[in-house]
Amino acid sequence: MQIQPTTASPAPVFQVYWEDPEEARLTWRHDRMHAPRPVTPLTGDLAARAFERGFNAAAATFALPLRARFRSINTYAYQAVVPPPNSPEELEHLQHQTQERLMGTLARLLPLWQQEWLPEIQERLASWDRFDLAGASTEELAAHLEDTERWYTRLWEIHFQLGIPFLLAPSLFEEMYSQLFRDREPLEAYRLIEGFDNKTVETERALWRLSRAALAKPHVVAAFATIPGAAVMEALETTTEGRQFLVMLCDYLAEYGERSNEFTEFANPSWIEDPTPVLDSLRHYLQQPERDLDQEAASATAERESLVAAARQRLRDYPQPVVEQFEFLLRAAQQASFLHCEHAFWIDQKGMYRVRRAILEAGRRLAREGVLEQEGDVFFLRLDEIEDVLRSPVSGLRERIAGRRAEMERFAGVEPLPVVGAMPSGPPPDSPLHRAITKFIGGPPILTAEEGALNGYAGSPGVARGPARVLGSLAEAGKLRPGDILVAKTTAPPWTPLFSTAGGVVTDTGGVLSHCAVVAREYRIPAVVGTGTATSRIHDGQLLEVDGSRGIVRMIS
Amino acid sequence: MSRLAAADHPVPPGFCLTALRCFANPAAPTCATLPAPLRGELKAAYERLCSRCGSADVPVAVRSSACDEDGAEASCAGQYESLLNVSGVEAVAEAVIRCWSSATSAHATSYRRERGLPDAASLAVLVQQLVLADVSVVAFSANPVTGERNEVVIEATWGLGASLVGGAVTPDLYTVSRNRPRIIHRRLGEKALMTIRAPGGTREIEVPRVLRDRLTLSDGQAIEVADLAEALEKRTRHPVDLECAYSGDRLYLLQCRPITSLP
Repeated sequence: MQIQPTTASPAPVFQVYWEDPEEARLTWRHDRMHAPRPVTPLTGDLAARAFERGFNAAAATFALPLRARFRSINTYAYQAVVPPPNSPEELEHLQHQTQERLMGTLARLLPLWQQEWLPEIQERLASWDRFDLAGASTEELAAHLEDTERWYTRLWEIHFQLGIPFLLAPSLFEEMYSQLFRDREPLEAYRLIEGFDNKTVETERALWRLSRAALAKPHVVAAFATIPGAAVMEALETTTEGRQFLVMLCDYLAEYGERSNEFTEFANPSWIEDPTPVLDSLRHYLQQPERDLDQEAASATAERESLVAAARQRLRDYPQPVVEQFEFLLRAAQQASFLHCEHAFWIDQKGMYRVRRAILEAGRRLAREGVLEQEGDVFFLRLDEIEDVLRSPVSGLRERIAGRRAEMERFAGVEPLPVVGAMPSGPPPDSPLHRAITKFIGGPPILTAEEGALNGYAGSPGVARGPARVLGSLAEAGKLRPGDILVAKTTAPPWTPLFSTAGGVVTDTGGVLSHCAVVAREYRIPAVVGTGTATSRIHDGQLLEVDGSRGIVRMIS
Repeated sequence: MSRLAAADHPVPPGFCLTALRCFANPAAPTCATLPAPLRGELKAAYERLCSRCGSADVPVAVRSSACDEDGAEASCAGQYESLLNVSGVEAVAEAVIRCWSSATSAHATSYRRERGLPDAASLAVLVQQLVLADVSVVAFSANPVTGERNEVVIEATWGLGASLVGGAVTPDLYTVSRNRPRIIHRRLGEKALMTIRAPGGTREIEVPRVLRDRLTLSDGQAIEVADLAEALEKRTRHPVDLECAYSGDRLYLLQCRPITSLP
């Protein structure tokens, strides 16, 4: 769903009205990395609740002395960390437990995923698929929405149970590696732990293969070269080659299409419903006929293995506990970075897709009965409101929806405040986990040292030059040309197909462990993340030099 | 040390050169070569050690063991240079000279004079197979600060002993009682540096944070060290300080001296 700012009404200021005075005492931070744009009321309700319960369940599992709150404020997604009510003695005791439980999980991250979490996730997804959406009675559908919330929440419990350790492990490994080997390149540690096949890479590799198949069909190549957007589908229908290709495309979408363009926004269509992002990626891939992604992956693997061997060689005179700690963290961090990319396919994307399908079924029925003007209006209701209206008539619904839609449009033109409520009282505590989380969400902005340059965090090593392509959303992905520098507020997981086209990436948000930086390293393109202001300072077409090893973006023209 | 080795304490194999007095010439404290007879003796002893350890040019630690160091009047611990990871007859001979020279240094000489010991007296040099220490430990069979005879105080750090003995790091500190509960106190030390093996010697490197934040010894290991300190005190009938090392799960005794200045 694209909500564009309306130019007619004056831009509202970002004034926050607190219904609950307790909430005003918390420090709320805008989650710019995952949700830079407004979220619909349903997402602000259901996703926020699932994240909150999921995070807090995981925090309890690891005996973390903190709890989090998630909610939308003025249509933007915010999070707050609730300080622990524990005494100093309790905190010290908790610290031991946390350490023990986190290390225990790091020791068996992959077995936990393969033997416990993934089978459970697949069982949840199968429960959704077993439910006959179209054939259910209205009461059954309302009950299914309750199940949906429960299952979705459970998926996010698992998400955070693996998310906390999968940030911690690479962070600890990188710290150890750079402290052991001061003379190595700053981001080299990540070369030793990344580049394993995972569902994210598989999704893109399969699309790449589809593009190689298309290259052998001149009619298909011609259609993609001349017809923009989704209209190419109609053109493909008109030739035998095109129809053959469409069958392959449908197979691809059936396998990998249960995802959308946003990290979490139930109102967004999936690739199955609107394959435009897939078609845009195909168009990009067709412009690179000489490239051999398999060869690139093989050389990345070879490089990883030789770096690991070199590190082991350098460690041979070190005390055994150092070597053992290194091997422990190497293994945990390799498993963690695999899971970082793998989990999103199963939880974030497939989970969101199934919630959307259930909600859309309710929307379809309510629109058919004339309760809603159109099925998409259902995303402007909270989950409890949808359940209520399915069970008995509710008055004033259309006005409520119109008001909320107008509010969302209004705030789409407002820059949300990074922090609302109580101002932060100081930097976060210096614990391994806090350091890991900071590497994920990014630290405070870095002052620019040189004229005509922007500083951010080094995200993926290397230097690239190219014209800037500032993308407000994935809907604009068609503008990107091979070698362009992709500039965006965030590049959450759904953006990753663009990484085999872009020559480099610059983001406003995130740190070295953000999705963007991880995937940029997988694709071996330079990335500078967490600049804070790139999208407002860089203009489209400007020539940029991205130094991803040092975290500097130079504006050449 | 040879007495202790014989008494079945885990002491690494080695030998002791005791005849250094014969070339102790105060006019030439830095002599370049060993006298031929001593050199022959050293060569033979080192080759015996190599065959005993089953490897040519076995790496050794060369450290002082002044004969009067075993006397209870003054502990010269730390006054003499120790050289770790020395291998080959030539290098061992050179290390023996350096070790001996350190005993005649102005600092060590004044230390000895203050305590009324004869100059560079009957200095012996101990040559031991190098223990590849994961953790180096110094233990006192009585609390050297309070004088409490019922407590063993243990300092431990990562890697070879040089950083610990040289005082370059803040080690982990354990106080172990002779009664139950045994572990009275543990203090995590900063352990910023560790000494590791390098070609022909050692080098000092930074300890990664994740290992600084970890205790070097388990409680069980601290108790094992304390028990060893107690046993040695009983045997020598005097409070002792010892240098030892864990390599894997094995505890090695490297050096044992009387504590001469208990409060």
